[in-house]
Amino acid sequence: MTDTLAPSRPIAEAVHAGTLPGRVWLYSNYHCNLACSYCLTESSPRSERRILSAEQMVAVAEQATELGFTALGVTGGEPLLLPWLPEAVLEMAQHLPLVLLTNGTLFSGERLERAAKLAHPNVALQISLDSHLPDVNDMARGPDNFAKVVEAVPRLIARGVQVRIATTTAGPADDPALDPLRQLVISLGVAADDHLVRPIVRRGRADELGLGVRAVARDIPSELTIAADGAFWGSFGPTVRNGRLDTDLLLTRTILPLSIPANALLAAILGMPEGADAKLGIR
Amino acid sequence: MGNDGAMARVELLDADQAPLSAQQYFAGGDPGPIVAALATVPELLGPALGFVGPALSAGSVGLRATEFAILRTSTLQGCTYCIHAHTAVSLDAGLTPSEVRALRGDIPLEDGFPSESERALIGWIDALAGATGQIPDDVWQAARQHWAEHVLIEISVTVGATMFLNRFATGLQLPTAPHVLQRLADEGMS
Repeated sequence: MTDTLAPSRPIAEAVHAGTLPGRVWLYSNYHCNLACSYCLTESSPRSERRILSAEQMVAVAEQATELGFTALGVTGGEPLLLPWLPEAVLEMAQHLPLVLLTNGTLFSGERLERAAKLAHPNVALQISLDSHLPDVNDMARGPDNFAKVVEAVPRLIARGVQVRIATTTAGPADDPALDPLRQLVISLGVAADDHLVRPIVRRGRADELGLGVRAVARDIPSELTIAADGAFWGSFGPTVRNGRLDTDLLLTRTILPLSIPANALLAAILGMPEGADAKLGIR
Repeated sequence: MGNDGAMARVELLDADQAPLSAQQYFAGGDPGPIVAALATVPELLGPALGFVGPALSAGSVGLRATEFAILRTSTLQGCTYCIHAHTAVSLDAGLTPSEVRALRGDIPLEDGFPSESERALIGWIDALAGATGQIPDDVWQAARQHWAEHVLIEISVTVGATMFLNRFATGLQLPTAPHVLQRLADEGMS
């Protein structure tokens, strides 16, 4: 006998009700051409790669749609170090709108033309830029990062790619000291609404250096996040510290079928004490 | 350190690294190495404990018979971690030192268990945990002369769950807690 009171599509209903965030994040890989001081995943050129395959990523997209999720995000590491990534992203974008996070340093020559394929109504690139001052930005993110980003953004926009900017800051998100950066972002052709400012979260390398805000599960948006090591509560979940994967926000080691981690996340959310809403503005 | 002096082969999670769904098991302090190892695969922790918990509890057969199954099976499977743990549990459950020694194989079974009915039950446990393949009818019939069918079913589940834990603890080299080792030394049953 079936329970007629049980929702037939619990994930879709929870997303619709706002109980469960609609976006599913994927960590395509953990290695990166940069080694930012506050990196959650201790990413660097020498990092363990922890790659999700293109087949896995597309399967997540397909199953996320079927379950009732409404958006996708791809992050790393630097996803565009994977040569097949643009094609996989386009296939995923057939199912749901997708934001691809990138450090913006791999958009010259052939790579720029490859990225230009991402001019698609369902795809946006989110590029990191932390200061209007090149020295300050590059201190955290690496040599020449500022110059590469401010050069790449207009080029991408000119090729029809949707671009957002993300700024990670040690100060408050509404700090007037960020006003020159906001102006710079607009001058690059990015709308003010597409400029995201978020705090450094004290996990991963930021924790080793004592940077940023401490956050527990209830502080972190409970977006389902899929990595090669498993499924996690939030995109700040699968962090690495001293080479060791953090498991405090691990939901399941099973990533597919996606219903297994999705249901585990929903159960965890429903098990949270009342009033335990995100409060740090971490996005 | 593991059973033979080696480190556990896997990371034993602590409360800080316990996944969300496992944190309830760490709320009262160290949950022991079985939970600390299983927590690394959180989707298995609840189902595994949901099976092992009832299977290793007193149930309808009582704690004494349950400990026969657990300690004897662990002995036959050579699981040092489980032998250590359940030597202490069996003594706490009221088994005499001589009964515990007999179940551990330190002395002949007859010296610890003069009762024919209890030897028949242990014979069923031995046939399940100490051999492979078919079990002769006479072993079953000997046990059935003294024990109800549902008791033998329950004991069979306990043996099976214990064998799972035996191989899990032995394969991963789970370490015996220092206070258990001290207890065994005090009892002269290290």
